[in-house]
Amino acid sequence: MEAPVYYSKAEFIETDTGNKVSRRATIAGPQNIILGGKTIISSSAIIRGDLRRTGPGHAVVISLGRYCLVGEGCVMRPPYKTYRGNFNYYPMKIGDYVHIGANTVVEAATIGNHVVIGKNCVIGKFTIIKDCAQVADNTVIPPNTVIPALALFAGSPG
Amino acid sequence: SAVLSFCPSHFKTRTTAATCIYSSRSLSLRTYPYMAPTIHYYCPCQSGELLQTPPPPHMASSSASFHPLHSLFFCEECDAVRCNRCVAVEVSGYYCPNCLFEVPSASVRAEKNRCARNCFSCPICRSTLQVVASDPPDGGDGRPSASLSNVGEPPFFLYCNHCRWDSAEVGITFEKPTGLAGVFFLSHTNSRLTAHLIAQLQKFEDSAPESLEFERLKEHFEPFLRTASLSSSSHIPSTSSHHLHTSSATAAASAALARDVPGVGKYNPLARSRVGRDRTANKDEMPEYKSRMEIGVLGQLGSEGDDSDVDALRRMENVEEIASLEQRWGNSWTTSLRTSDLKPLRIPLHSKVSKRCPTCRHILIKPEQKAQSVRYKIKLVAANYLPAITVGLPHASGTDTARRPQTKATGVSDDRNAGILTAGKSYPFHLALTNPLYDPIQVRLSVQRMHVTAVTDGTAPEKARRTPFAVSLPTSPFPVAAFAEAWEYDDDDDMFGLEDDDLGLDVGRSRDRDGKGKIKAVGVLEKRANVTVVGGEVVIGKEARGHVKFNMLVSYTYRSDDPLPSEDGAGTPSRTVVKSPEVKTFTFYTVVDLGPILPREEKTDPDI
Repeated sequence: MEAPVYYSKAEFIETDTGNKVSRRATIAGPQNIILGGKTIISSSAIIRGDLRRTGPGHAVVISLGRYCLVGEGCVMRPPYKTYRGNFNYYPMKIGDYVHIGANTVVEAATIGNHVVIGKNCVIGKFTIIKDCAQVADNTVIPPNTVIPALALFAGSPG
Repeated sequence: SAVLSFCPSHFKTRTTAATCIYSSRSLSLRTYPYMAPTIHYYCPCQSGELLQTPPPPHMASSSASFHPLHSLFFCEECDAVRCNRCVAVEVSGYYCPNCLFEVPSASVRAEKNRCARNCFSCPICRSTLQVVASDPPDGGDGRPSASLSNVGEPPFFLYCNHCRWDSAEVGITFEKPTGLAGVFFLSHTNSRLTAHLIAQLQKFEDSAPESLEFERLKEHFEPFLRTASLSSSSHIPSTSSHHLHTSSATAAASAALARDVPGVGKYNPLARSRVGRDRTANKDEMPEYKSRMEIGVLGQLGSEGDDSDVDALRRMENVEEIASLEQRWGNSWTTSLRTSDLKPLRIPLHSKVSKRCPTCRHILIKPEQKAQSVRYKIKLVAANYLPAITVGLPHASGTDTARRPQTKATGVSDDRNAGILTAGKSYPFHLALTNPLYDPIQVRLSVQRMHVTAVTDGTAPEKARRTPFAVSLPTSPFPVAAFAEAWEYDDDDDMFGLEDDDLGLDVGRSRDRDGKGKIKAVGVLEKRANVTVVGGEVVIGKEARGHVKFNMLVSYTYRSDDPLPSEDGAGTPSRTVVKSPEVKTFTFYTVVDLGPILPREEKTDPDI
């Protein structure tokens, strides 16, 4: 019943697993980014896969689940911490069916499944967002918060 | 969605113009948003008597009885729809929203509904506080000191990441980084603190004056309640009708209350009159209660009375020094006005609820015990029993399919006529029914006739309200296929429209097109997987106003696999008896809202 959404084929690179990455999105370090199938990355999104942990071997910096939608102008950066004198980036793990609104800055550590994040949000570092949570538009989530499952957060400081 | 600006005096639609060209009225605040057509389901809990017909939808109060399908439950025993208003809610568990630790119900009361671990919330901005260690002492030459322990150096304090407040400002520090709430929360056996100890420990929670006062009150009433309960306890029958304490959590809570405040026995309405009579005899013997501190001595409470407050206000530099109302009103007694006196708060616990049917007490929703799991042990939602219906107006999206496909950002100007129902015209609409059951169903739709009384608006009676619009739906039953997994369906991508050759749409109606060759709008349009799309038509009268809303009765029959009640448990070897399939019918009401009616314009503007 829903009308199909049309998009221009030239704008998106489509992978064999169905991910659609916009050509105008900035993907840094794509070898460290895992996309589950059928994820859409909109134009002008910035995904920093180059900020990886220091250490040998292959590191996964950002992993998204299936059917995710990263809005336009979104910035996704892994969180970092100075711990015992060492500065390190931590991997960011995002679940399935996550919709991130436009112009949102996401630095969370973990995002669960079925999460809806609104526009112009700022998700602080090391935030843990559990399943089915919802973050309203223009929300500022302070670092280290835990958003429990099925919660709705709004406002700043959220 | 299309947003049209709408001049209230001329009823003209404009999209980008900021002023109406006729009246020069600013249109920036008048928007006429396109509301997609919706459908809601009716729960009969508000109707009271057995009538069970929904109220007419044009009345504003009727929206309380209609709910979207995803918020409804279905009781299998009563075979009825239940909504959030009529279910009985009870707590099934508590958890801390910060550390996601499930708190057992017994310790919930002991910890006063707050987290017992290191979870605090900043008094300024209400975000969670982080336990940080003090910086290690500097070696004097700028280099980091050698003793970098894993957890850091004591003393530890709380730090807010958002507003950079820390608890050292109010003087609260801890020696070890775990178990902080235990330090905060003194056991209430230490109620008899003397004055100088109170002054030292003033910052801690349980020695707060209000909790000490409460302890003293409890001690004062304790002997009288005990005698009252002893005299009335002989009349309390054994634990029989405790229908209120259906879960272990509430039973544990009431037992804890009874233990804590002696005399409050288990709730029993039968003994109420007797207890009242006994209490009146005791009331004369109760001595007067003297509170722990004088009311006028507000200095101990921290607000220090009027004069010192005024002096402090005179000396203040900026307004942030005064604690805002939102930061202060959670306290039971008045506290200091200054922001610098605000203490961190332990984070209150959240609860997970389970819901029961009000009549038969069957559990409808029971969440899992884990705090962060979103699954349910029992999930009797209406979406698993009732067909899901979605409404669409084909002229809203029909123009898009005909055009060239555009980029993902749908243009606002293309939807200028999308979905707006203009008075005086007739529109087709689509209903898509999705069958959630594993058996095919036969659905019958009918429009409920409603009696619209002519409401006088005060100025001119609207006679046209008697027939604002007429809705025609397919009247004969049509089947909807059963739900099956996605791979079991044949790859039948039917064209959106009318198939008149096969698929067995023999519902007994004549499906030939009329003489003009116009495609029939009313009837079954498409069958795909477990979805059937039927079309209806609505004719809007010329003087109609408001929304096109009508109640629709949906009844569907399905073959249920319930065993026949002939198995009496007598061990009859009746396995060879062929169970005749039982056909059950379920009926429910819905309200379909197709959107607002746009009053008829004199001419359509071509420049929109």
